Amino acid sequence: MKFIKNHLMFILPLLAILLGAEFFMVFERTTQLYEKGLKESYTMMVVSHKPVELSQLKELNRHIHSSEPIQRERIVSQIAKGLNRSSSQEILGALPYFYNVGLDSYMKTSALDDIKLDLESDPNIKMVETFGTNHDSSYRLFSFIKFILNLFILFMAVVSLFLIMKQMEVWKYTHEERMKVMEIFGAPLMLRLGVLFRVAIVDAIVAGVLMSLIFFYVKFQWAERSGIDIIMQNHEMLMEITDLGTLFISALLIVIVAVFSTAFTSKGVRE
Amino acid sequence: MSNVISASHLTLAYNKGRKEVIKDVSFTIKKGEFVFITGPSGSGKSTLLKSLYGQLKPSEGDLVVGGLDLVNVKQKKLQDLRTHLGIIFQDYKLINEWTVAKNVVLPLMIAGYSVEVQNTQAQRLLKHVKLAEHANKFPLELSGGEQQRVGVARALAKNPVVILADEPTGNLDDYSSNVIWDLMENACQQLETTVLVVTHKIPTVFSLPYRHFIIENRGVYEVH
Ligand SMILES: Nc1ncnc2c1ncn2[C@@H]1O[C@H](COP(=O)(O)OP(=O)(O)O)[C@@H](O)[C@H]1O
Ligand SMILES: [Mg+2]
Repeated sequence: MKFIKNHLMFILPLLAILLGAEFFMVFERTTQLYEKGLKESYTMMVVSHKPVELSQLKELNRHIHSSEPIQRERIVSQIAKGLNRSSSQEILGALPYFYNVGLDSYMKTSALDDIKLDLESDPNIKMVETFGTNHDSSYRLFSFIKFILNLFILFMAVVSLFLIMKQMEVWKYTHEERMKVMEIFGAPLMLRLGVLFRVAIVDAIVAGVLMSLIFFYVKFQWAERSGIDIIMQNHEMLMEITDLGTLFISALLIVIVAVFSTAFTSKGVRE
Repeated sequence: MSNVISASHLTLAYNKGRKEVIKDVSFTIKKGEFVFITGPSGSGKSTLLKSLYGQLKPSEGDLVVGGLDLVNVKQKKLQDLRTHLGIIFQDYKLINEWTVAKNVVLPLMIAGYSVEVQNTQAQRLLKHVKLAEHANKFPLELSGGEQQRVGVARALAKNPVVILADEPTGNLDDYSSNVIWDLMENACQQLETTVLVVTHKIPTVFSLPYRHFIIENRGVYEVH
């Protein structure tokens, strides 16, 4: 019983850190997908006196990525229904040029306003409409949730790390006699820590395997039924199999750091 | 002959120098000498041995063991020195989770010998201490005398330059005591090992010339 408890006290905090790390990675990728979606669907409207080329717009601001003219003839033909040909020509002459302009990345409202100012500094540009506030609010909520979640993950990781080090102290106490005897006979640090490493690495592997089980369950069972579009459509990309490698390596690194930190915090064997 | 141990104006103390156990003593011990150390309990015999294997730092004076200055010693150097010492404790200090055979070859393991060498040496050493048939038992399955013989076998495993023994036969049966004294005499005679033994009673049958130190009232005196 005590044996199981001793190991759970190590495995559970480690698992918490690993889960936190996986959540963090998934959330980063979700954010990227979400921003990509926003970026691709977003365009601002630019109105100019004379036709402008994409390259000219790019010179005004480097975030400009695409530009597509809106067919003026079609607008006029709508407005000028029932008018004679010469007056519709007149309207067409007076009408400025319209462009749907796309950006290279997702921008906040304030950044959009900067781009608007840049573009409007050219006398040829008559007006820029960013539709800013509209698409900003849902993104802000999303960012806020992400921030809170990362904060929570960080907090959990710190608490878990302390629990792990505390458990290490317990192990060290159990193996203290042996480590002392080995030291008196001149064993180097690594040899003395060997036992701690063996126990800790086994536990790290157990935590890694548990993590993998949770990972596969979430990826193949939960994600497909979650009802969250962005997760259902992208679960292949959100939870990559290579994450498991990253997590196993992190688990081993955490263990190594924990073993060494306990070894060095209690060095004063010499009286 | 060269000095293996030399102490000069050595003071040993606990509690950051507040509790002085040994004060301002000087002596030298040469290679191959056999030294008995006696004295009342609590006089500082174990303390002196501790200082010799670098577990207790001298609070004043100089102490050199095997050419190493133990007043200002780096951890790594101390480790090296310890691999050339054979230390025997009154309470054995065996590793109870390890078999007798594995305990005996700890110094060889630390020195990085292969498992094959360790196994053959374990057999040889255990034969010397008359425990060959107990190789695969665990220390707590043995009697006190047998455990101490394991401790002695471990101390001799790598032919140490110095043997430091703290009441090795403290409360052992005559048979075990005799085996242990024989082994230490042999090491001293055949390998020129320097031996320091703390004991409350110098064995009556002892064939080698020896020196005798008494620790009393914080001083170390030699009996001539
Ligand atoms: N770790 C320690 N801290 C403080 N005092 C100690 C320590 N070890 C021993 N002493 C004290 O030092 C004195 C000498 O102890 P010790 O060397 O063990 O005596 P001996 O081995 O001769 O019986 C004793 O008074 C003992 O109480
Ligand atoms: Mg003592």
